Amino acid sequence: MFWQLAANGLVTGSVIAIAAVGVSLVYGILRLVNFAYGDFMAFGALAAYAFNGPLGVGMVPATLLGMLATAALSLVLDVALWRPLRARRAGFMSLFLASIGLALVLRQVLLLAYGPQPQSYAVDQYKVYVLGSVRLSEPQLITIIVAAGAIGAIGVLLARTTLGRTMRALADDRALAAIAGIHVGRVIRYTWLVSGLLAGLAGVLAGLVQSSFDPNFGFQLLLPVFAAVVLGGIGSAYGALAGGLVLGLAMELSTWPSLFGGVDPVYKPVVAFAILAGALMVRPQGLFGRARVV
Amino acid sequence: MSASLHVHDVVRAFDGVRAVDGASLEVAPGSITGLIGPNGAGKSTLFHCISGFLRPQSGRVLLDGRRIDRRAPHRVARSGLIRTFQTPRALTRMTVAENVMLAAPRHPGERLGGSLAPRARRRERDVSVRAAELLELVRLDGHAGALAGTLSGGQRKLLDLVRALMAEPRILLLDEPMAGVSPTLRVELLEHILALRDRDGITLLIVEHDLDFVMRASDHVIVMNDGRVIAQGSPDEVRADERVVDAYLGAHHGGA
Amino acid sequence: MNVLASGGFWAFVGVVAGIYTILSLGLQLQFGFAGLLNFGQVAFMAIGAYTMAILVVKEGWSTWLAAPLGVAAAGAAGLLLGLPALRLRSDYFAIVTIAFSEIVRYVATNENSLTGGSQGTIALGKVGVAAQYNGQWERFQARIQGWLGLSSKDVTMLVIVWAAAIVLLALVWLAVRTPWGRVLRAIREDEDAAASLGKNVLAYKLQVLAIGSALAGVAGCFYAWQFSFFSPDDFQPLLTFFAWMIVILGGLGRVWAVPVGAVVFGFLFAGTRFLDFPPLSYLGGADRAYVRLIVIGLAIIGLVLLRPQGILGKREEMVLE
Repeated sequence: MFWQLAANGLVTGSVIAIAAVGVSLVYGILRLVNFAYGDFMAFGALAAYAFNGPLGVGMVPATLLGMLATAALSLVLDVALWRPLRARRAGFMSLFLASIGLALVLRQVLLLAYGPQPQSYAVDQYKVYVLGSVRLSEPQLITIIVAAGAIGAIGVLLARTTLGRTMRALADDRALAAIAGIHVGRVIRYTWLVSGLLAGLAGVLAGLVQSSFDPNFGFQLLLPVFAAVVLGGIGSAYGALAGGLVLGLAMELSTWPSLFGGVDPVYKPVVAFAILAGALMVRPQGLFGRARVV
Repeated sequence: MSASLHVHDVVRAFDGVRAVDGASLEVAPGSITGLIGPNGAGKSTLFHCISGFLRPQSGRVLLDGRRIDRRAPHRVARSGLIRTFQTPRALTRMTVAENVMLAAPRHPGERLGGSLAPRARRRERDVSVRAAELLELVRLDGHAGALAGTLSGGQRKLLDLVRALMAEPRILLLDEPMAGVSPTLRVELLEHILALRDRDGITLLIVEHDLDFVMRASDHVIVMNDGRVIAQGSPDEVRADERVVDAYLGAHHGGA
Repeated sequence: MNVLASGGFWAFVGVVAGIYTILSLGLQLQFGFAGLLNFGQVAFMAIGAYTMAILVVKEGWSTWLAAPLGVAAAGAAGLLLGLPALRLRSDYFAIVTIAFSEIVRYVATNENSLTGGSQGTIALGKVGVAAQYNGQWERFQARIQGWLGLSSKDVTMLVIVWAAAIVLLALVWLAVRTPWGRVLRAIREDEDAAASLGKNVLAYKLQVLAIGSALAGVAGCFYAWQFSFFSPDDFQPLLTFFAWMIVILGGLGRVWAVPVGAVVFGFLFAGTRFLDFPPLSYLGGADRAYVRLIVIGLAIIGLVLLRPQGILGKREEMVLE
């Protein structure tokens, strides 16, 4: 039972982790809490569905198309919304509120386009792989493998490439990075691109795992994603990865009956928040965050 | 009236780096003590530890013999230790007068529901009068009704100073009061600071990079480097101290 | 279309605007005056409404006892949330408040025995019986209607809600003009400066959080009375964002800007019902609802882009930046 839950936790955790990195990069580099991120994920999931369902495109190309679509949306919005706001030197609150408005618009557009009924990908939900005491459905196994690959790629991007290091430097200290001659505008575009790709991927994987999804499911995922970002420490992409995995595992393992009877599965998101709250009490800057100096 | 300050072996680290590494100092009541040292010596961090904005990981801070190192910043302030910040913290969307009146201690009107008592109205009147007096002192009375955000940098420094005065300090910690200040204003500020000691009997601990000011104003000078106190004494003694010269020269050669 | 344009409809809009005024007033106090990022305001509204309904239906209390207790419960919840959460930096605090809001909704949806679950307050009573908490209130409302000679229930409710709103607005307005209010504004500007001058920042934030959430509790009780039945889905985060919209639309840091924002927002929102021209008139009912929210979302974005200081705010006093 334990290993089954742990495996489930790994699945959930990887999806949250990927999304959390996207949120974290945007926050770190653009100082923007993107409240519309959940709806970006839903957009990606539904875009992939548009190819996979009615058009019968295979899951892999559909996923890539979904990711690209979300990245494109991200970049378009940067030009249409975020850049004008930056030009007006909008502060944190303005950006946050704008992202709330954006989330609203995006969700309703998706509802207009697809309606509120749940959709599913054309994958075999019933095929099961057995590893010891753990049973994984095909979507779950795919998610773990793809997520592992994606996380590895993200790690390489952040640690080894010039772009990645630049992004981390900017997230760490914008003013300093600007002085050091880093071309901020280019990095911002890449940030939206990467975060859009990650949102699309996370959305598709979440849709796979949940087996059916509707335009509203993005917001439900958003809160655990935010929790992961905060848990890991705002501004730290690695922290977001760690935070996502920790929360995913914790959420699933909390339902383990041997743990004081286990938490009612319905309350899993509450577990995520409880862990976040507890962690912040002990370490207010998050797992990988910096302590606040006056 | 004036308070004494004793700092014993304060240590404060960030992510393993010791910004303050066992600093000890004493400030005699009614004196002006200058705290100098190269950038990164830990002076501001020490200020934060003394005033309650940071908790030292070890060591003690005593105000008039009583420990304050575990107290929240507002309680340190209520004990009579008031500090200013490196950048002036004018409350920009409030008027100049409100900025000063805010600092008044023991105001019943500041409690929830406290304004219902007649005492509160009386205190508010007294506070208003005192604020006007203090603003006149620094010739900001003409700006009393203006938003503090309209003041120039130098004016904001003066506002910081009288706001701190309004809080009835027994000891005042000034963090680089001369930074970015014009030469004419410097003279004025020096006069005000000396008056704080002479007229009001307030103890002063001042972090400054303007060594000319420090030598002229201080009764006692403390030198920090690498998180520790490396020398102290009268201005002349410190000026001649080899270790102090080394510390500053070392800083120039890529030290701090 | 004619039915919608009737006085009854606009009275209803007015009632909702009044309820939102009270809800947003709490937020104005918290953010506009003290700088607190409370994104869970709707949860306190839910606590007020549910506490009142549960006490009336399950414990047989009088509405006139249950409602104040609902308000107190909402205020207490604010205090309990604030005690740990206000020590966090402001963006973490914001996320924790959102989390709190969702947890409240979760509990309301799943604790069937306590709250009636996803079916709402109808299921509060015995199985098979539609629970009603509104009896006493309806009688009171009818008495007022007769006393004032008003034409309909909605108009009566309009008068009652706005009477309450005006009283609360006046009280808050008086409070922020005191030295207590001055400290709040100082905390909003620079809490370290305030602390360095001896102000107990945490205590003030707790007070404001509790008062603001109590106001949300009042809004919750009025909501419950107006609609005579509610469910957890009535308290979605969307309502919190509407409250934020109202506060910003009116102008931050100004008490009397809140009713202005609420009325404008209410009429805008209701007005989107009249988007009855082609091609929109070809859409079905559900789709029309989506379009209305799109308009609201675009309005939020437009507001942030074009007039972040709101209707009554001044540029220099813009609190958003």
